[in-house]
Amino acid sequence: MPAIETTALTKRYGENVIAVDDLDLTVEEGEVFGFLGPNGAGKSTTINLLLDFVRPTEGSATVLGYDVQREPKAIRSRIGVLPEGATLYDRLTGREHLEWVIDNKGSDDDPAALLERVGLEPAAAARSAGGYSKGMAQRLGFAMALVGDPDLLILDEPSSGLDPKGMQELREIITAEADRGTTVFFSSHILGEVEAVCDRVGIMNDGRLVATGTLDALRENLDLAASISLTVERVPDALVADLEAHEGVHSVTVDGSTITVSCARTPVKYDVVTQIGAATTVLDIVSEDTSLERLFNTYTNGEQSGEGDADADLAAIESEVSA
Amino acid sequence: MSIRSVAKKDFLDVRRSKSVWIVSGLYALLVVCFFYLGQSGPTEPNVVYQLSYLTSIGRVFIPIIALMMVYLAIAGERESGSIRYLLSLPNTRRDIVLGKYLSRGAVGASVILVAFGVGAVLAVLWYPSLEPTVFAGVAGLTVLLTLAYVSVAISISAATGSRSRAMAGSIGFYFISNLMMLVPSFSIVAALKYVLNGRLELGLSDYLFEFLRMLSPTIAFKKAFPLVVPSEVEAFMVNADPSAPAYLAPEVAFAILIAWLVIPAALGLWQFNRADLG
Repeated sequence: MPAIETTALTKRYGENVIAVDDLDLTVEEGEVFGFLGPNGAGKSTTINLLLDFVRPTEGSATVLGYDVQREPKAIRSRIGVLPEGATLYDRLTGREHLEWVIDNKGSDDDPAALLERVGLEPAAAARSAGGYSKGMAQRLGFAMALVGDPDLLILDEPSSGLDPKGMQELREIITAEADRGTTVFFSSHILGEVEAVCDRVGIMNDGRLVATGTLDALRENLDLAASISLTVERVPDALVADLEAHEGVHSVTVDGSTITVSCARTPVKYDVVTQIGAATTVLDIVSEDTSLERLFNTYTNGEQSGEGDADADLAAIESEVSA
Repeated sequence: MSIRSVAKKDFLDVRRSKSVWIVSGLYALLVVCFFYLGQSGPTEPNVVYQLSYLTSIGRVFIPIIALMMVYLAIAGERESGSIRYLLSLPNTRRDIVLGKYLSRGAVGASVILVAFGVGAVLAVLWYPSLEPTVFAGVAGLTVLLTLAYVSVAISISAATGSRSRAMAGSIGFYFISNLMMLVPSFSIVAALKYVLNGRLELGLSDYLFEFLRMLSPTIAFKKAFPLVVPSEVEAFMVNADPSAPAYLAPEVAFAILIAWLVIPAALGLWQFNRADLG
């Protein structure tokens, strides 16, 4: 039984706005699924539909096998949610928030242990949440989501408001939860943060799921270029032509003393470096793994380019990857 | 029990609200003033007269207190997004509306009962007799009036998505059900009578218009007083017209007041159940 399954899920607002368009999404039990897309792509609406905060115009969805509209209570007793942009109760302390969630879920968690797990100091937990920084609020929200050892964690933009240390801790908790068999579904508009923890990703754009699969599979399917830049003492005349003739090199650009080479595959970078190194003195090498960002941009901007070919390519990839 | 859990948390939250404490302090102070003035005058002090003055002031103030304490209960959480936490836990939307009603109703009733408790102590100290039956009856009806407006405010709060709309709805309801109903000749019903009888010459009975007025919780509260006050006491100014039809009886007024406790909250729940909370 999949942890999350949506069938032709559609949400329209009024006549013209389609927030989620015919979404078929399956998240298997036990996997860490990164739900990606730029702001406004329909990620939050999808999560709102899964949590029965909003009702679908068409289609249906199940969470842990329960229908989202008919059995919300059964779902809510087995999931943990970190909602996006939700404020805490200003007049309650951090600890009281946790005690309330524990009481509401009928679990026997120890508030102190949860606070420690998310890195919230006991002194901070004794204060009212009205004075919390965004990062502290996010940590408390995360502790609340972990109450009752949920089978599924739904985290909406979990890293917002966290500093790099907090993000690192967040990743560690997600990994630990996944190791315990918890399914994790989290949304993000930053691609980098999902790469380290996700088994699979889905990319949303304009309300539609444009790709799903492992990051490697998505990369491979797009055959994206890897680029490398070298700063050299001088650029020999013949070098550019030689590089362009090399198999696997997409393009060569020269900007002053910097040569940037776009390669079809990462191993080609090595050939490029040795070739340039043989021809001139290399001062600096910058190898950018831009494929990840580009992957994201290709999926999310590709459709807006208006080129029929790009659309056809994407459609082909989509069916291949999700199959 | 999710309703209990929602109510418990809300109670913890709302009892820390300064405005609730200020409002309940002011109401208790009002009670103290009335009971002090009642025993310092030249006439023989009588608790029942003080209770009647208290209720005539209460008719105007208690609805404001109740609406103010409650109108943000759900709409405020929707606007701030904290309702997402509530609904991510094993609570249905029904649990939330009923839990909030329970907690705010308990706070409202406490405010009234504490004030009447203070009044009872003063009555024992300063007055020849406490008149416990009348005292309890008036306190009970006042609690029902409070709950009726709590029910309305819960309904408005559940049916509107933002603070500003909930506030507009509460103020609007206060004007229509209270200020524009209290004085018969300046009420909305009088305006309606002017149109129907004065202009269209339908010749409808005055009793019918009085019944329309009684549909307001404030007026139903007033008209239910013969149930708890002995008939020889005229202080409550409930015009006991012996020829009045049965539908103007105090029992009917009481039933209308009880209906206000249930129907608005039910309508609010119905609307909240259908709403998109994105």
